[in-house]
Amino acid sequence: MKSVVIGIHLNREDVEPVAESMKVSDVFASVVGVADDRPLGDRDLLLEIAAIRGRLLDKATFIAVRYGFTVRDENELAIKCSGLTARWRELLVAHRDEVEMTLKAAAAAAPPARPDRHDFPSGAAYLRALHDATQTIHVDPEFRVGIERTLVPIATQHRWIHRDTHSVELAMLVGRRNLDAIRDAGEKLRRDFANAPFLLSGPWPLEVFANDHHE
Amino acid sequence: MPEQTEEITLLETLDHLLDRGVVIAGEATISIGDVDLLYLGLNIVLANIDAVIRTSQK
Repeated sequence: MKSVVIGIHLNREDVEPVAESMKVSDVFASVVGVADDRPLGDRDLLLEIAAIRGRLLDKATFIAVRYGFTVRDENELAIKCSGLTARWRELLVAHRDEVEMTLKAAAAAAPPARPDRHDFPSGAAYLRALHDATQTIHVDPEFRVGIERTLVPIATQHRWIHRDTHSVELAMLVGRRNLDAIRDAGEKLRRDFANAPFLLSGPWPLEVFANDHHE
Repeated sequence: MPEQTEEITLLETLDHLLDRGVVIAGEATISIGDVDLLYLGLNIVLANIDAVIRTSQK
């Protein structure tokens, strides 16, 4: 039996009884036991884990661990998380009453042509070109101003993220008490920019803001 | 429309599950049936190519 790690939490009671908990230093991991012969790509397992993730967030804010990380026991978890837990605890204390919201907006212009891997002398050069292509994507400037006037002031932190060549994302850290205000702001944005397709989703656990990588 | 909304919600939920959150060193193989789809190596977890690039820059 392996355990899929879902997230990192401040208290054991933030995890149980929704999932099993494993102590790692002075924080707790939420885990779900999975039979060794069950592949992690199993559709039902993915949906089950996604649902548990949602129920855990209802209890308390946690740091999301990207799907695919499994351990056998607390010892293995401690070894693999060595050096990370102090920072996690700091984040969990600092953002106890906050969650993430995401706005995904379509790119303003047609995406640039995807680089052809045959045009590059090495895989690394090709990957760099592919990455650079995503950085040229922007939303319509007026729409961006609209977003920054309506949604951003409600968020305590925000980051623009370029993930692919078709869309741009705004990740926001939002106080739980401000979730209705963010949703209302999203509705206003939809009314004001009826022709600008976007998706406002959340609340999510700490995903973007749990990483030190700033874009 | 409700069905469409449900689909979008599911896709968005899976996107967050598979491509967000902290990455912890480890390894695993994601497979469906007998076919391994993705090898999850050190600091690269269930990543599409764009995510691999972002991870490699950290």
